[in-house]
Amino acid sequence: MTCEEFERVLPELGNDHSIEQDEHLKSCSACSELVSDLSEISKQGRLLQACEEPSPWVWNSIEVALRQEGLIREQPGNLLVHPPRLSWKLRWLVPAAAASLIFFGVLLHERGGIPQHQAKQESPAGVVTADLQTEGMPSEDMQLLNSVAARTPSMRDAYEQNLRAVNAYIHDAEQSANNDPNDEVAQQYLRNAYEQKAMVYEMALDRSLQ
Amino acid sequence: MTDAKKQQGRLSEAEAIERAKQGNADAFEALYNLHKRRVYSLCLRMTANTAAAEDLTQEAFLQLFRKIGTFRGESAFSTWLHRMAVNVVLMQLRKKGLPVVPLEENIETEEESPRKELGGDDPRLAGSIDRMQLQRSIESLPPGYRMIFLLHDVEGYEHNEIAAMVGCSIGNSKSQLHKARMKLREILRMSRAEKATKP
Repeated sequence: MTCEEFERVLPELGNDHSIEQDEHLKSCSACSELVSDLSEISKQGRLLQACEEPSPWVWNSIEVALRQEGLIREQPGNLLVHPPRLSWKLRWLVPAAAASLIFFGVLLHERGGIPQHQAKQESPAGVVTADLQTEGMPSEDMQLLNSVAARTPSMRDAYEQNLRAVNAYIHDAEQSANNDPNDEVAQQYLRNAYEQKAMVYEMALDRSLQ
Repeated sequence: MTDAKKQQGRLSEAEAIERAKQGNADAFEALYNLHKRRVYSLCLRMTANTAAAEDLTQEAFLQLFRKIGTFRGESAFSTWLHRMAVNVVLMQLRKKGLPVVPLEENIETEEESPRKELGGDDPRLAGSIDRMQLQRSIESLPPGYRMIFLLHDVEGYEHNEIAAMVGCSIGNSKSQLHKARMKLREILRMSRAEKATKP
């Protein structure tokens, strides 16, 4: 067997070689080296199978989508979101996230997302205060919900559920930070919490500003 | 360690699947964590673009979770998921007009054609390939070669499966794989030679 003949059958070769091919490999260092190299490349390729880590935003987006589609359902007695623990280094994110929420609120107002008379009718100050006291929903969240309800009343409950879940997430994050200020493993949880809330706002605004 | 993490550690894949069918958020996350690296790695190598790979990873998992109620366990869950991920990537590449199916009668340019010479003066590659070097070399492969190499050598699919997935013949899949490996060998040897000549 010549090198050219061996080269022609090489793409079809698996791990088993014919006697003729084996003899050629024993006598030809070039072909033997080639087979060894290709085998090494294949072996090293397998080691690349799962060596990259996606960013945490991927799961955040998936989770938000699953909630929106109703695939994630409230489990009785279960926390919807995981209690994060914040380190002191990350607290700067809290005002940053608050600023982004305020930005969304301002945007909503500027685009006239909430007709004032309607807002007054549907959520007069007294009612909002009562809601806040009894259910712990921040006023900007109530404002957002009213805006959603004005546009698509059927979606209000879904958004309220999402906001409550994400608020619980943020609350747990803050509590964990207070309990253990030196914890350094919580960066992701913190970002998750505010990212989730921002996404809920974004989606609600998209809906209410259509 | 959070409750969710503890739960993920305890949940077997089968339990997670059953709970995910009931709408349990932790179960979805556990399944995601079990398989995210492999799915994302596949998407990243196929697209060579981080943002696109993340979008595709998201899409693959969403498709999977939407259909999880229909999973009856006849095949391995990982097989089901990875096949879905491959399909999502292939569909996306097709949408973008990128070559997915290697041509049966491949017209190779001088540049793309693997060098036909067998061996040379350099010693064997065994033991000298590092991961980064191989990753860069794979990225520089023509898309058709890269696709087949990733599906066969990295993901472990057989030629008949690849042929069905990308829509080519088994012979073509074998031929493209061989050319991809030859091209990689050439790139890796050149890279090693360059390194050797640097002071």
